[in-house]
Amino acid sequence: MKNSAEDFDSLFEKKKKYTGLKIFVVIFIVVLLALTGVYSYLSIGAVRERMALAKAQSDGTISGNPSLIDLMKEKAWVESRLKMAAGDSIGLSIDLGQHTIQMELKGVVVMKSKIRDYSTSGFFKRMDGNVYFAMFGTPLTIKAYESSIEKNPFKVIQAPKTKTAEEIKAEEEAPLAPAKPAATTDSIPDENVFWTVKLDRDFELNIQGIDSVAEAQSKYKLGKGFEFKRDIRNIMNSFEHIVKFKKPTYTPEILISIPENEAKAILRALPRNASVTIRI
Amino acid sequence: MIRTFFIYVTILIVGIVFFVSMILFAIPALQESTVILPKLTSSQSSSGDNGDVSKESLEKEIGKLQAKLDKLTPSDAYIIINTTDNHFYLYKGKELIREGLCSTGKNERLVSEKGENTFYTPIGVRRVLRKQPNPVWAKPDWAFIEEGLPIPPPGHSSRFESGTLGAYKLELGNGYMIHGTIYKRFMGLNVTHGCVRMGDEDLEEVYKTLQVGSKVYIY
Repeated sequence: MKNSAEDFDSLFEKKKKYTGLKIFVVIFIVVLLALTGVYSYLSIGAVRERMALAKAQSDGTISGNPSLIDLMKEKAWVESRLKMAAGDSIGLSIDLGQHTIQMELKGVVVMKSKIRDYSTSGFFKRMDGNVYFAMFGTPLTIKAYESSIEKNPFKVIQAPKTKTAEEIKAEEEAPLAPAKPAATTDSIPDENVFWTVKLDRDFELNIQGIDSVAEAQSKYKLGKGFEFKRDIRNIMNSFEHIVKFKKPTYTPEILISIPENEAKAILRALPRNASVTIRI
Repeated sequence: MIRTFFIYVTILIVGIVFFVSMILFAIPALQESTVILPKLTSSQSSSGDNGDVSKESLEKEIGKLQAKLDKLTPSDAYIIINTTDNHFYLYKGKELIREGLCSTGKNERLVSEKGENTFYTPIGVRRVLRKQPNPVWAKPDWAFIEEGLPIPPPGHSSRFESGTLGAYKLELGNGYMIHGTIYKRFMGLNVTHGCVRMGDEDLEEVYKTLQVGSKVYIY
């Protein structure tokens, strides 16, 4: 009888031992679920708010017959390129329908590249004609750059000290030094070329340098790389807003994958506030 | 006892994994999904009362604009130079007649007690201002500073070098030129002080094709 009473007591002791942990686990899971819910609600709210803003900005722009929308897009595209040609700097024109990206200088296409792959935010897929023309009807302007490689790499070299007449004479009399080996182009390191620009109509254009579509998928390295760090930073920013129960900022994006050397050439050639024309 | 502990820990881990995957993947995907987003239709879009614009007039306007845009491309010879890949493309109208390797500016700033010299190929449009066969290079001050040599007075014989610029030069203004080189092994690399260097055969073709006034597009 005594033994069974002890057994019975020990059962309660065990339970007591884990009660704290159980409460912690339950509270922790409830908090996580609540945070997930709030995060989802505010994140979707941010998208809807951005859409409402785009809608408000588009009211009063071109109204048109929906059957002529493609022709009107074509007209806006050519008009925008003409406006870009009026400037002195290099501009970028992107035709997602034709899968082409080109740099133009005074109306002359100086570089044309085939887009290997692209994706656009859902925001752009839900646009009607008016919102489209408000966003893409005229050339956009680049506001800021961010890139995995340096945009304009410049080396600073210190000039040698001016030689005296004696030093020059001694050099001339000295035997010739062996020629330095020729520099080779195959020693160029494998770079990850990814750059992103903020445009003045509050969306981002991301250009990824790839040499095959499979490479585009394998290039995103979880835990490292420019793109991963950028995504984590964006998530942290959103999370910071949400912890304060504020709506995070939502920026629609267009991601374009083109050959790596062309992605690099465009980044290096575009001026700081370059114009960009886009047709979707 | 240990089993219960592990059950709680597993629940914790599953909760954390769920939360992280929601934040990293599910919610961003949901934000981009068209299913949950309303259609972006502004108040005037469905009016369809655009009676003054017909399909024909729109097509005519586009045709005119396109012709205006096409006219901006020179109908005579011009050259495009890519300073990132060190490649040139020689065109006659819309036809590519030759392409090949070249060498362009090394993007370097040379600092000395006499000041700074910047070596890069400027991006933009230029014109061929002057053409000359068998050019003699009149070495500027930076050529001496770079070698650590005393700068001779202007017109001094040590400033003039034959053969260094190859068989031809095409002047582009501000001291920039398209010319040949004796350093052929550096072709395709960013090694110059701002000029565009070409191989002998390419240079000859470019020299013969481009005229004074021809456009040079550099990017």
